[in-house]
Amino acid sequence: MSAGSTEIIALSMVAALVVSVAERSFAADNDQGAQLAATCAACHRLDGRDRGIPSIVGFSEEQFVTVMRAFKSGERSGPIMRTMARSLSNEDIAILARYFAAQGEETQRR
Amino acid sequence: MTCLTRRQFNYLAGATCIVAFRPQVARGQGKARVVVIGGGVGGATAAKYLAKGSERLDVTLVEPNARYTTCFFSNLYLAGLRSLESLTHGYETVAQRYGVNVVHDSVTAIDPVGKTVALEGGAKLPYDRVVLAPGIAFKFGNIEGYDETATQIMPHAWTAGPQTRLLRQQLESMEDGGLFVLVAPPDPFRCPPGPYERASLIAYYFKQYKPRAKILILDAKDSFFAQDVFEDGWNRHYPGMIEWLPGQFTGGIKAVDVKDRLIKTAGDTFKADVANIIPAQEAGRIAHQTHLVDQSGWCPIDPMTFESKLQPGIHVIGDAAKAGNMAKSAFASNSQAKVCAFAILAALTGSKRFAPHLFNACFTLLASDDAVASATSYRAEPETIKVSDFFLSKVGDNAETRREAVREADGWYAAFTHDIFG
Repeated sequence: MSAGSTEIIALSMVAALVVSVAERSFAADNDQGAQLAATCAACHRLDGRDRGIPSIVGFSEEQFVTVMRAFKSGERSGPIMRTMARSLSNEDIAILARYFAAQGEETQRR
Repeated sequence: MTCLTRRQFNYLAGATCIVAFRPQVARGQGKARVVVIGGGVGGATAAKYLAKGSERLDVTLVEPNARYTTCFFSNLYLAGLRSLESLTHGYETVAQRYGVNVVHDSVTAIDPVGKTVALEGGAKLPYDRVVLAPGIAFKFGNIEGYDETATQIMPHAWTAGPQTRLLRQQLESMEDGGLFVLVAPPDPFRCPPGPYERASLIAYYFKQYKPRAKILILDAKDSFFAQDVFEDGWNRHYPGMIEWLPGQFTGGIKAVDVKDRLIKTAGDTFKADVANIIPAQEAGRIAHQTHLVDQSGWCPIDPMTFESKLQPGIHVIGDAAKAGNMAKSAFASNSQAKVCAFAILAALTGSKRFAPHLFNACFTLLASDDAVASATSYRAEPETIKVSDFFLSKVGDNAETRREAVREADGWYAAFTHDIFG
């Protein structure tokens, strides 16, 4: 085995590790999104259907964050959503926003 | 395993590099086994989220009945606003879409040493973890004369199904001008607003069909959840129809005479035309038999995982759990089931754990166009669960807000039961 091929192997191992770490942090974000979204699923159907309570799948990230912050500050009325929004950190809201935006794209592709 | 998900592929591809971070991956080939006992809201939710969370878990749900009728919204059936069928759900989707192995049988014993669950049918299910969601049992000894047999004359209707149907039949056969007596239980009990919503919605039925009927609530307690909101509703919708007597006034409910439909308090005897006795409650029987219960009658748990503090490897969720300040409600059971499922997934599959998020929301109907909403968020601490934030509708809300809450309640029921059974 030449020195060159050892380097390539070493580099590709580093690359694999970097990709793996990046994938894992994406997966973790997605897992946290899924776990937080489980709370939303107790009132909002996550298959895009709605009745009495609006669907939240398909909101863009920005829309979701804007609406949740408005509930949190009391600018938008809705006492149950206000209590829910206040129970989430801004980071939680950002994670949920990414999760639902991604879910929306997936629903559209189907 | 022939079909790998993207996540599993990542685990395997990265295994040589990251084995130190993911020790669970290196474990044997067999799937970890979780047995969920009880197919109510908590149990069915836990089974679904466990199975959905990982293909590397073998999830079995043991429930004696083929279908489940929700206790929540059963007061709407008593009012004539919903059919009992519309409140009844099966386990087909949980089995077919999520791959939960649904076994219709009863659990006779859990062996925490041998780690098996024994079924009445003779099978023994080995487990790595158990999720126990047994719901409530009634403390029949507390009111003299009120036992299992008496429930056929004076129903409790606090588990939905035949008992609810019986109460509805009795209300339908009652003469106009008759007296309906509701005995409300001491704390803690399933669904704190439930008895008072029931009184409201039976009054709603009486107002239309038996306007001279009266409702008497004999309470073990001296106050109840959202009392001012209920009393305001009763005055607006059913003036003079509902009377509530607290425990300090009656001296407590002592005995019943089933034959003559008599209810005896410390100082009085009331003759009912229809009687609904909601007894004091404790964790379901299997929890007692498995030594999961402390002197309170409920099961102490670790608030982060809902694992029993008395028997490792067994998690208790729902009404049976002693979950600090969390209400005993369907919503709370669903919320606990998810926290518990994610904790078990982390322990058995190595998935990442996040801080538990615990919540409760509730819609209570005072009339067909008047609902009260409440919401509570909780904080799980190492030893208990505390309320972080609380909202409850107020006396004087405008009528449109209350009507909107009825529409939301209807949408919530559809979404919530979809989350559990769909």
